[in-house]
Amino acid sequence: MANQVDLSVDFCGVKFKNPFLLSSSPVSNSAEMVEKAFEAGWSGVVFKTLNSDRLPIIHPSPRMHCVHYGSKKEMAVQNVEQISDRPLKHNLMEFRYLKKNYPDYPIVASIMGFFEDEWVYLAQVAEDNGADMLELNFSCPHMCIEGSGHKVGQAFHLLERFTAAVKKNVSIPVIAKMTPNITDMNEPALYAKNGGADAISAINTVRGISEVGLDDWVPRPSVFGKGAISGTSGPAVKPIGLNFISAMAQCEELKLPLSGIGGIETWVDALEYILLGSSTVQVTTGIMHYGYRIVADMIEGLSDYMVQRGIGRVTDLVGKALPNLHETDQFELDRQGITHYDLDRCIGCGQCLIVCDDAAGQALEWDSGTRRPHLIEDKCLSCMLCSFVCPVPGLISFKEMPRDWNRQETAVKDPGLEKELKYKPFTKEAPNECIA
Amino acid sequence: MDLAQAVAEADRCLLCHDAPCSTGCPADTHPAEFIRKLRFKNMTGAIRTIKENNILGGACGVLCPTQRLCEEKCSARFASENRPEGADRPIQIGAIQRFLVEHAWKIGFTVFDRPEPRSEKVAVVGSGPAGLSCAAELAKAGFPVTVFEARPEPGGVLRYGVVSYRCGLDFLANELKDVRSLGVEMQCNMPIDQPGGAEKLLDDGYRAVFLGPGLWDAARLKPDRSPIDGLFSSVDYLSALRDGRFDEMVKRAEGKTVAVIGGGSVAMDCIESAAKIGAADVYLIYRRSYSQMPAEPDERVEALEAGVHFLLLNQPVDYVADENNRITGIKLVRTRLGEPDDSGRRRPENVPDSEWVLAADMVVEAIGNQAPAELSECYPGVDVDTHGLIQADSKTGQTSVPGIFAGGDIVRGPALVVNAVQDGKIAAQAIIKYLNQREV
Repeated sequence: MANQVDLSVDFCGVKFKNPFLLSSSPVSNSAEMVEKAFEAGWSGVVFKTLNSDRLPIIHPSPRMHCVHYGSKKEMAVQNVEQISDRPLKHNLMEFRYLKKNYPDYPIVASIMGFFEDEWVYLAQVAEDNGADMLELNFSCPHMCIEGSGHKVGQAFHLLERFTAAVKKNVSIPVIAKMTPNITDMNEPALYAKNGGADAISAINTVRGISEVGLDDWVPRPSVFGKGAISGTSGPAVKPIGLNFISAMAQCEELKLPLSGIGGIETWVDALEYILLGSSTVQVTTGIMHYGYRIVADMIEGLSDYMVQRGIGRVTDLVGKALPNLHETDQFELDRQGITHYDLDRCIGCGQCLIVCDDAAGQALEWDSGTRRPHLIEDKCLSCMLCSFVCPVPGLISFKEMPRDWNRQETAVKDPGLEKELKYKPFTKEAPNECIA
Repeated sequence: MDLAQAVAEADRCLLCHDAPCSTGCPADTHPAEFIRKLRFKNMTGAIRTIKENNILGGACGVLCPTQRLCEEKCSARFASENRPEGADRPIQIGAIQRFLVEHAWKIGFTVFDRPEPRSEKVAVVGSGPAGLSCAAELAKAGFPVTVFEARPEPGGVLRYGVVSYRCGLDFLANELKDVRSLGVEMQCNMPIDQPGGAEKLLDDGYRAVFLGPGLWDAARLKPDRSPIDGLFSSVDYLSALRDGRFDEMVKRAEGKTVAVIGGGSVAMDCIESAAKIGAADVYLIYRRSYSQMPAEPDERVEALEAGVHFLLLNQPVDYVADENNRITGIKLVRTRLGEPDDSGRRRPENVPDSEWVLAADMVVEAIGNQAPAELSECYPGVDVDTHGLIQADSKTGQTSVPGIFAGGDIVRGPALVVNAVQDGKIAAQAIIKYLNQREV
């Protein structure tokens, strides 16, 4: 079944067996690790960001912290990890080892310089030692030196200049890796394109704080009593990554291949990135949590999905959800619906009632004898909150109502207060340029 | 259960509206509230919810047959058909409760402030679950309470009627510490057994008395038979495991054949403990069949897993002893099940000519507890029934003597710890009301 489908991707002229890459991080720190990842099924690697040995790289200790959600582990991970602390020569030897032993597995060299010459130097040595592509790290979120990491990603002219300098000196394709710690990623992405970037990858980690110690009041990770705002990753950031990827994919001016990153653990996550415009995806936190083995389920899951949907090539899925992604003003507001309850399967926990009462339309009545909800259809807001908390899958669904159906207005608590109102309707016309 | 497991279990909770679990406890425990508090990281609040309602919340968490009380009502059980992780498994309410109480000890969190002191002294007879619960409730309201315990150490059935692997002595010590920290005074080796002794407390300056002596007389198979070496009642055997005679019991059981007669929870404790202390073969002798046993399903399975041989459909009729009056076996008659009796269970009928002897080196009778015949002489004015059980109002614990209240097994007959806890609480509230009215 699975071999009927083609998962391979041509990304800026570089061939990958499948869309699943290691992102530049602790999971791609050495040839020993990457070799194991290739054996597990990853198609390529963005190797841990090279440094030029100009400055010593020392990782803070401890390096990471995480956010648990109840008993669910690692909803997000926060790290203060630096770029590679290995000597450049060692990293380049690792490139050579991998190229020798895994010639069909592309190496993307992640590099980060502090000034133009350094960017160029790193780009050239990476190319000279076998890198198939470059990824310019404009996005490490816990660099505090101006002109480095995400500070570059936020200073668009620098981003363009460094990209251009690199492009001028290498022949391999160049990806610019963007920071999400901005409002609009399309703008810096266009600067990168102007500088000659062949592709964009996003997102790097989101600046955040995972936890504050309640005994010592130190934000975590506590590096000997000091905390810092730093990079957050993992399932919690997936919606943020999908936002930026889809916005860039829809940008007519940009039209560059995208590599999606952020909270990917399963083939479903990966496919969502692909449907919103990514042609490859990169993973770190999922591996930090579960190991390289998760790629086997990504490959099998995506392949079976494609077989079931009759889709031969994964590249045919890229951006397929974009035509359905609109501004909210495009919605058909004259079509309305409500929830539908399949009460035969109800177990009577009443969580629907609680959320409907306290966060929605008070559209449920509770029969405390049978312990079952009763829906007052005309009050249902179709927010669907009840369906999110219902423990029985599919019990609560959405159904469209006839066009002539009207939702009840929220009742005023004390209509008698109308006579005390100090109120005149707002009547001014909006200036034309402000009309959305 | 540790913190991570408790959090995981609380995560499974559906946080029901008008949660059914909270209607399932004889002692009005509110699991929905303490589990929700745990879920929202309000650990201290969860502990407060348990302890304010039940000072013996730890012991109840350990000993309560939760699977047919709060957990029986749990909605998560019904999620099974629709949701694999529901898997017909209720939330482990008892285990969470135990964890939270132990967590309070670990972090040194105490729930109660010292109340406005009251002058009226109250006496509590018996330091079992009913007495301790009543004493704690009164102390929380500021009354000076003295608990009189006949035995050398307090705890009643929690100490002398429960096996250590279910409720250890360290655990009990912490529960007792919580009661004492409220200001309750406990006087041990102080039996109130003189004729009229309980009523005399009212003359000795105690303004009210709570009777919670429990049932410590064992029902016997052959009440008229003279003692045989190696034949124990469950009361004596279980007590021996906790009162300094542990080594003696191990010596008697180790490598030997032990038989326990009975099919209730106490019988399961006896037989499983006998297996644990090294008996080579342990037989549970029960005159009906497996499914008629009053013991909880999980207790039965636990006993089987401990290696106990269930000898069902056998009625013990007498014992066999050697010339030194040491027990050597039990005379048994096979039974078969006939028509249902008053309890609704099929009545065991002896099979004619089926008598046989099971060789045994030690036998424990676990066939029920009763009130000692002479106990009611301590409270001659208090009405008792033909079994010596005190007749008390079920809503107040009030007896026929004003100022004397009662609860626990001495009123109900053999019942659960959680029932005794509730009796003690209810009686305490009635005592407070009684004393407030007298004050006016």
